[in-house]
Amino acid sequence: MRDTESVSWEELMRAANRGDGRAYARLLTEVTPVVRGIARARGAALGADGCEDVVQDVLLTLHLKRQSWREDAPLRPWLYAITRNKVIDAFRARGQRVTLPVEDLAEVLAAPEGPDPLEARDMERVIGRLDPRSAEILRAIGIAGDSTAEVGARLGLSEGAVRVALHRAFKALKRLRERMIE
Amino acid sequence: MKTAALIAALAADATPRAGVGGRMLRALVPALALSALALVLLWGPRAGLAGVLASPLVVKTLLPLGLALPALALVRRLARPEAQGGLPGAVLAGLAALLALAYALALARQGWAEAAAQWWGLSTLTCLLSVPLLALAPLAGGLWALRAGAPAHPARAGAAAGLLAALASAAIYTLHCPEDSPLYLPVYALAMLPVVAAGALLGGRLLRW
Repeated sequence: MRDTESVSWEELMRAANRGDGRAYARLLTEVTPVVRGIARARGAALGADGCEDVVQDVLLTLHLKRQSWREDAPLRPWLYAITRNKVIDAFRARGQRVTLPVEDLAEVLAAPEGPDPLEARDMERVIGRLDPRSAEILRAIGIAGDSTAEVGARLGLSEGAVRVALHRAFKALKRLRERMIE
Repeated sequence: MKTAALIAALAADATPRAGVGGRMLRALVPALALSALALVLLWGPRAGLAGVLASPLVVKTLLPLGLALPALALVRRLARPEAQGGLPGAVLAGLAALLALAYALALARQGWAEAAAQWWGLSTLTCLLSVPLLALAPLAGGLWALRAGAPAHPARAGAAAGLLAALASAAIYTLHCPEDSPLYLPVYALAMLPVVAAGALLGGRLLRW
């Protein structure tokens, strides 16, 4: 699958579920503006930073729950359902209740990030609460763009151990985010 | 952390993982084996079990097993964030209505007194206690499997897992149960109820995402 080719989200997700990291990165990159569009349209009261927190929450949830998408189903309804849930959570964290009919979400326009990418505050706060090594692995791969092999070589870990640590870090982030909401 | 950085980190964790279905298989098979083993060792099979299973009375075991299939489909469906009960839910509701109708007809034919005599059978209390006990392992397995899902309604998904566990447990308990009158059916239904309620309660807590 070449990067310039037009590929459906369903195909990308199926490839991702078989371990294709490049297809997965492309899918996440393509769904992000759509999720951001919904977050900004339905969560305007959260502010631009708050909306970016929702976007990152959706990406994290999508990642950990990606097996709940049935491979023969369209991806969008699944994505909208997760996004809707996370917008509701964001309001709940502020003590507010909102109702969002799923049908409305499909009509929202996608929102690009804009010239100055936003730093989501909540994610940074929960990363700060991870154990130092998990946080280091997460930042090295995400921000510095290192491969799992490079991180492993630096920390004296096998590539497999880095992968396991990375996955555990995402699960821990999710738990910490949930605790912030309650 | 910027969103692009998060995406890069997430994409590095693309190792395939088991979904709800895979985890169901992994958890329910040993859980059911455990319950069946417990029945054989602690309750004991009923006298002449082989003969019973070769007779039309085998329906008593096949009925909950048959209902467990749409219940399994319902659990898997309710594990998805965008799904409602759909076809499996409708099938289950239809079958339950059919059973209730058949029961009402049997009741009309044989009378309340006969039915009440069956309800207060010697093993009624055992049934009411055994079905929930034998459902513990499959319920735990089902809820664990559902933790990989993202149910739109956690309590409902938990209740479906409870129903599945209760049906499987009921099928196992029939291997011990000495009551053979169809009029006994409501005792089973009553015995399954706490399992469904426990599933709903636990699901509401454990399956939120």
